[in-house]
Amino acid sequence: MPPFPLLRLPRLVLGEVFKSLSIGEKIQLSFCSKKVSTQINNWRLYSQKVRVYLDMYSHKIEVSQNGEDKFKIFNRCDSTDPDMQQLQIEGCTVPVICFTNEIEIFWKNHQEGFLSVIRHLLKMFKCKFSTTISYYNSDLSQPTISMLFDLQQEFKILNIHPYGSEDYNFLWNKISRSFELVDDFRILSCFDDFRPVFNSWPQKITIHSSYWFTLDYLFACPCTNITIFNSLLNNKDLDEILRKWKAGGFPNLEYLEIHSDLITNNETTILGMNIRELDRKVIQTDDGSKKATIDTGIGRIDIAVTPFE
Amino acid sequence: MTSPASSSEVKYLIESSEGNTFDVSGAALRQSNTFNAMFLNIGADGPIPFTDYNEATLKKVFEYCEHSVNEENYSGPKHQDDLSKWDLNFFNEMDQKMFIDVINASNFLDIERLTSYCCERIARMLRGKNTQEMIKVITLPTAEELEAKQKVEEKKAAAAKKVAEKAAETAEKTETLEELPVQQLVQTTRNKLTRKYLSFSNE
Repeated sequence: MPPFPLLRLPRLVLGEVFKSLSIGEKIQLSFCSKKVSTQINNWRLYSQKVRVYLDMYSHKIEVSQNGEDKFKIFNRCDSTDPDMQQLQIEGCTVPVICFTNEIEIFWKNHQEGFLSVIRHLLKMFKCKFSTTISYYNSDLSQPTISMLFDLQQEFKILNIHPYGSEDYNFLWNKISRSFELVDDFRILSCFDDFRPVFNSWPQKITIHSSYWFTLDYLFACPCTNITIFNSLLNNKDLDEILRKWKAGGFPNLEYLEIHSDLITNNETTILGMNIRELDRKVIQTDDGSKKATIDTGIGRIDIAVTPFE
Repeated sequence: MTSPASSSEVKYLIESSEGNTFDVSGAALRQSNTFNAMFLNIGADGPIPFTDYNEATLKKVFEYCEHSVNEENYSGPKHQDDLSKWDLNFFNEMDQKMFIDVINASNFLDIERLTSYCCERIARMLRGKNTQEMIKVITLPTAEELEAKQKVEEKKAAAAKKVAEKAAETAEKTETLEELPVQQLVQTTRNKLTRKYLSFSNE
């Protein structure tokens, strides 16, 4: 069978063929040539929202749709093997090794190569990214995150290990202005003087070392889901939080989980009850529009809000 | 001889690029949305000119349409594995050139089911392959070939315009019989053809 003249097909037929391929097959096909890639991009397969996980430690990019049909792109340092297949990706001729569900690309500058692959994907799909920023991948995370926020790209999960440096402060200032692009923001650690300024907020926030997350931060937080570990909030603070919620505060709140050694079954009551009495209680806002189910444990309280039926 | 009717017994004459004519049933032709837009309601005075496609290709396309007349209503593309033995034979006995001609004709005639099965067959050539394997399966055209393709598409758009004009002309001839309704039909047909022509040109 002679090679099939794919690009000589009528435009609508070509579009139907592209649409019927899996995410991985589309990416593999897009790497065949610039002309094929342009044709795929012309179809703007944006109805297919793909998830892109950027592993900036191992320079791996994982693309999937609803967690299925995973395709992995490994970005390696340059290879000197002359027998390796050469492909042109984003204007660079690069050696590659192709597998069915993954491809290894050998870049002269792997940092630039990583960004090139992201640009290639952004032309093909509407992407939602997930990644982790830390000191140990800052060579890649700084330019990558900066580029994605400049392009107003959405994030499914953004993990961060804050570290003190000028570069980091620059990055924080940039992303904190556009946190509305982030569904789920997780601060995994912190350093001594960590006092971040939030110029905007994500939809959900999780903070692992939250000793700095005071009542002032919490009262300013409009997130739907708030989870804080290693908090310094105590029973008195919880009383204040729940009274504020009853009076109509935290209008977006759907779920609040606080872990603190200072939440104890002592004489300081919360809404007039001790922590044990509060367990499994259902409270409601003063206007009767919402109710919340409270679940308490040792050093922990969960509040799940539901609209009043 | 052709006439405006919806009965499956009605036969239409089709003219190919060689100038040859052959019969196709109305029921088979109605699977072509292009035909429906142009001739279904007003009929055609003389052979319908699909002169951009040769006789063998058109016969192959309408062979498919005749076969699928009695099948259930089309409900979207089927997986290759769901194709009947007849469908598989139909595709397997074509060489690559004929397959491409059939795709082009089916696309122009807007025969949804046949176009969809053709797309599925092409997708199957690429499925499960990596980039290196795909490069072996497909021909990557040169700049000259792409330019030639564009010229062919322009030529096809011009042909579509010609067919549209002929259909409108035919419609005008029927005006005297039922003046007011036909005039409305002609206008409707012209609008449809203009839209079809414009969408074709934009491709």
